[in-house]
Amino acid sequence: MRKKHSGERGLALLAALALVLYLVFLVLPLLLSLRSSFTNENPLKATNEYIGFANYTEMAGDDQLRASLTFTLILAFGVTVAANVLGVAFAILLNRTSLSYRVMRTVAFLPQVLSGVIVAFVWQTILTQNGLLNTALMKIGILDEPYPWLGSPNAALFSIGVVVTWVMTGFTTVVYLAALQSIPLELHDMASLDGVRGTQRFRKITWPLLAPGTTISVTISLITVLKLYDIITVLTGGGPANSTQSTALYIVKLAFTSDRVGYASAVAMLLLALSAVVALTITSALRRREISL
Amino acid sequence: MIRKPLLAACVAGLLAFTAACGSGEGGGNESGETALTYLVFETPSLDAKFWDDSIAAATAQTPGVKINKIVAPSTDRDGYAKQLQQSGQFPDLLQSITPSNFVGAGLLKPYDKTWIDANFLLPSANSLKGEVYIPPTNSQIVPQVYYNKKLFTDAGISAAPKTWAEFLDACAKLKAKGINPIELGGADPFAASMPLVGIISADILGKNKNWLQNRYADKVKFADQDVVAAVSKYRTLVTSGYFDKGALGVKYADSITRFTTGKSAMYPMGSWFLGSVPKDTADNFGSFPWPTDSGDVVVPFVGGGSMAISAKAKDTAKAEKFGQAWSLNTKNLKALIETDGAFPMIKGKTLEDYGVTVTQVFKDSYAYVGQDNNKVNAIGWATNDDALPPGLNDAFYAAAQALFTKDDVAGEMRKLDDAWKTAVQ
Repeated sequence: MRKKHSGERGLALLAALALVLYLVFLVLPLLLSLRSSFTNENPLKATNEYIGFANYTEMAGDDQLRASLTFTLILAFGVTVAANVLGVAFAILLNRTSLSYRVMRTVAFLPQVLSGVIVAFVWQTILTQNGLLNTALMKIGILDEPYPWLGSPNAALFSIGVVVTWVMTGFTTVVYLAALQSIPLELHDMASLDGVRGTQRFRKITWPLLAPGTTISVTISLITVLKLYDIITVLTGGGPANSTQSTALYIVKLAFTSDRVGYASAVAMLLLALSAVVALTITSALRRREISL
Repeated sequence: MIRKPLLAACVAGLLAFTAACGSGEGGGNESGETALTYLVFETPSLDAKFWDDSIAAATAQTPGVKINKIVAPSTDRDGYAKQLQQSGQFPDLLQSITPSNFVGAGLLKPYDKTWIDANFLLPSANSLKGEVYIPPTNSQIVPQVYYNKKLFTDAGISAAPKTWAEFLDACAKLKAKGINPIELGGADPFAASMPLVGIISADILGKNKNWLQNRYADKVKFADQDVVAAVSKYRTLVTSGYFDKGALGVKYADSITRFTTGKSAMYPMGSWFLGSVPKDTADNFGSFPWPTDSGDVVVPFVGGGSMAISAKAKDTAKAEKFGQAWSLNTKNLKALIETDGAFPMIKGKTLEDYGVTVTQVFKDSYAYVGQDNNKVNAIGWATNDDALPPGLNDAFYAAAQALFTKDDVAGEMRKLDDAWKTAVQ
């Protein structure tokens, strides 16, 4: 009886600690940021005043914000689709039990384990003007002169998309592998007996039963890319001409380069709301799909 | 259910832990020394040893001071100083920051003017409303145009161009010979902006030194016809194919290598490039000021310097003494001259006094500092009253990159005016 009480007390202590950490490091900063979004807070000015909704109304006419949101949304949806398609494909390929496949699974997950900064530095050496890719393409005669993979707006968007997809595919592969392994083998056996094979079996059995994995994978991929900062900062710094400036990067520049902490907080609130709306909409749509299947 | 005392204990413990972690007060130590924090930044040439040695030398001349070095995570000292200020850890001494970013909030203490006047060639090079927050120990020209003499000869160019027409002619001759005329490290925004800094400094500030002050007073704008006409020269260079087509994908570090290995004939860059000129082929490189229509020499000048002092330093008098000792130490400047191409500005000293080994192209470039010529504050680089408002450099860099692919010069200049309006609000 006494042991049970002390066990409960220990659990309560852990829960309390987690709650306090959550409140102090997540809820409190969020509330402080919300408060700041209604001010003209500038860390380098003596006075910071309450300015009502001025920051929010300013956002309507902010071309840089609009461009950063457009870029972020295109990247988020593009990467989410590509990483999930590739994730399903790799998961099916790697859904074996032998040692070599287990090793390949680890390799597939590796990009997800690496720090975004390291990933970006590695890809920079590949994609830069005199990088490995241009050197290789010129050596085999595909290109006559180096192609600006990071030096023109469209190519830079594409290049960032490829890098982020590479990173996210490690994650989606693992999620889909787990989902694949939760499908009862009997279902496949029964399908085989009924003569259902190949793409038909994938369409009728595998794909519908991957639905819970799809919900998780799509939602987390979207949220991750919506708040992407590190890879873009290292790879292009938001350039050329701010064409690859994600909203998260714009927020940091507003706060620490332009000293507009108040406005940066308002943009951060917008990004939070946008992420919440997108994530909730996608999640509820995918959940409805899970139920209907 | 959790008991209130338990929860209270958790909160109290966490707060105590947080307070202990964040405690930066208590400037003294047991030996009675005043501990001062000093924000520095490391580069390949200004490495940890350079800072440690320079700190040790200045500390030896400042009894009772102990320096705790803080290394900025990148060369963006201003950005890191702002983050430290936000978290209540603003350093006592800050190396090579932009004072105008911090003076408005009363964060910096000015140096003693008498000491500044007594020791430096251009005492007001860094002054903000008459006060000097960073001793003007050295200077830079941003940009100068560096050129490869052999490639010029190969293209039949007999002398460095002085006028804009001669410059365009040189570019055309180089291109006709299959030589890339101008190198641009366009992937790094600051490097991408170099031609624009040269053009505006030469064509606009060269004709009106007060242009930036007039911009602050809203008497002139970037979208004015004269600025648009000047910036259109940059478009001329781009559309004529005088830069590599993929220049916006070239990193700054790679642009140095490309130029010094003969991939391009000219390189508009800050005079810190002089520290990267290969010693064995140094005689093959020359420099000339960014050309003007008339051929008049305009020198886009930047007063560099050492460290600023926090107005809230634990002991501002000792902090100032340390700053003075560091600033006048010729050994520190020796490293800056040799590796960073800094032009020394201490009164009564010649290059020989620093014991430096410099190239001829360094001497030729440095000569512009001593000459009686039209020196203007290089736009985007000045740290004095002509410094751009916070955040505008980014907009300026973005315009430089955008104009590499867009023809709408007037539109980009209007964007700069909009950014200016927001920045000064």
